Amino acid sequence: MILAVNWGHVLMVTLLGFLLVFCLLVVLIYILKLFGYLMQPRVTVQPSHDPHETVAHKHDEKEDTATLTGNATAAIAMALHLYYNGIHDEEPTKITIKQVERKYSPWNSKLYGMNNLNR
Amino acid sequence: MKTFKYLFLIISFVCSISMFAQDANALDAALTEENREQNAEQLAETEACGAEQAKQCCLETAQGVCGNATAQCAQQHKSSVWSDVAEFFGTMGFMRIIKAWRSGILQVIMILVSFFLLYLAIKKQYEPLLLLPIAFGMLLTNLPGAEMFHSELWSAFLDENSPYYHSYGEILKHAGLLDVLYIGVKAGVYPCLIFIGVGAMTDFGPLIANPKSLLLGAAAQVGIFLTFLMANSIGPVLELCGASADLIASWGFSEAQAGSIGIIGGADGPTSIFLTSKLAPELLGPIAIAAYSYMALVPVIQPPIMRALTTKEERAIKMKQLRSVSKTEKIIFPIMITAVVALILPDAAPLIGCLMLGNLMKECGVVDRLSKTAQNELMNIVVIFLGLSVGATATAEAFLNVRTILILLMGILAFACGTGGGVLLAKLMNVFSKDKINPLIGSAGVSAVPMAARVSQQVGQEENPSNFLLMHAMGPNVAGVIGSAVAAGVLLSLLG
Repeated sequence: MILAVNWGHVLMVTLLGFLLVFCLLVVLIYILKLFGYLMQPRVTVQPSHDPHETVAHKHDEKEDTATLTGNATAAIAMALHLYYNGIHDEEPTKITIKQVERKYSPWNSKLYGMNNLNR
Repeated sequence: MKTFKYLFLIISFVCSISMFAQDANALDAALTEENREQNAEQLAETEACGAEQAKQCCLETAQGVCGNATAQCAQQHKSSVWSDVAEFFGTMGFMRIIKAWRSGILQVIMILVSFFLLYLAIKKQYEPLLLLPIAFGMLLTNLPGAEMFHSELWSAFLDENSPYYHSYGEILKHAGLLDVLYIGVKAGVYPCLIFIGVGAMTDFGPLIANPKSLLLGAAAQVGIFLTFLMANSIGPVLELCGASADLIASWGFSEAQAGSIGIIGGADGPTSIFLTSKLAPELLGPIAIAAYSYMALVPVIQPPIMRALTTKEERAIKMKQLRSVSKTEKIIFPIMITAVVALILPDAAPLIGCLMLGNLMKECGVVDRLSKTAQNELMNIVVIFLGLSVGATATAEAFLNVRTILILLMGILAFACGTGGGVLLAKLMNVFSKDKINPLIGSAGVSAVPMAARVSQQVGQEENPSNFLLMHAMGPNVAGVIGSAVAAGVLLSLLG
């Protein structure tokens, strides 16, 4: 029975199979990385020649990269909340035109049509 | 109380099916030797009436000429009310169990197993969407006399000398309801349709944002191949232990069967069913039940392994925020993956192709109706058919043997090895990577979407409640789906 199991083939399937799965997924990783690199949005900013402006720009950049304080985060959250939820009054969405209810249809009632019109 | 209600409903259903399953006997009249024995018994019954004509008719039945069993013969020739009543009782499922008590006991055990699975599905809610139809299919197939599924037809379907060999037309002539539904499994249709639905419900964004997740998805497939090796070694180990040739033959597994058992480690039900239906259809019942049971037990099986393989500091690692993924990337991703995988490994094309088709429908945004259909109606319909027909394969002969227990044991080992493989590779990646990876996300490399990712999140939050690993774990989780489909393709090409 030991000889009945083709150990060479079994080991080949085990190792080659796992290797194939791994290699195929590694290939996919590189393809995805390349894909991500190509799809990355690129915005180029022209460097300024004015020395004062450059200093001011660098200062702004430093401020931008600083971590947000709790107050700033709360202010942004409040602004977003107001923007999404509080910008408009709630409208009732009801049609306010008064409907006229008639007992008979004006299409088939001559009498009703002549004498009983709401004006 | 609710449990008793469910049990009462099921028991009453069993009774009614057994009582009204009178005509089903005619279906397999032309096929089995067992049927000829039954006809001989019917002959003995009719002899009791003393009617020469009835005797003649039943002799014809035994030769397979009439095609109808005692029901018609006796109605023509017997006038006695009592004999009619006795005959009716003879057709009842209960009487069939008593008559053929050896196989009857096995059927009763299988019915009890199906009750237990129904209990797990309804009360414990272990993967109820699939476990419930599977358990009910198991119940239907084991009802004596109902004849809704004929395992002997499907054995003949694989026998080159049989007229049924690869002939769906011949099968349909004698098929019961579950045989008809089983054609979808046999042809590999249901798993692929389910993959369309899975794709339509999956967001591959975390994987696109962090492609390295694919490595974790690949590492978690180690369980599949280790189990394949283990299943192959059972026969030789038994021989070394001095087991008899019969025992070795009945407990051992062929290479194709070992491959089907190994795929349980991928923790992906449709993939397991797809591969098993191609490589070892005779093991479909136990393997499907093992795969879906272990998927439901992910929150029980994985956490101890994850804790054992990681330190407290590793579990508390916070990962860098994932980059945002554009819509264009999400649209191109499924097309690209299908093309690359199918060109390298054509055998994986049905599963990967259907998965990516569903995902493309979701992401492109122009076929919302198709996407919603794939996610809901199509998925639900196929789940019912798949569950019923897979459950139907769990007949007493196929299920109640030592092999099933071995399959269940090896399945859990495969699952544990996959979990461990993912965690260990994540630890290894930490050695070489600048950005630290929490090793807990490695365990999500076994598919089981999104349960495995949720488990990573829960175990991570036990150490550090402010740590949110869910989105990071979804990357390896969906990579595991691709990985297990690729592993199935590899096994199919090497063993099929």
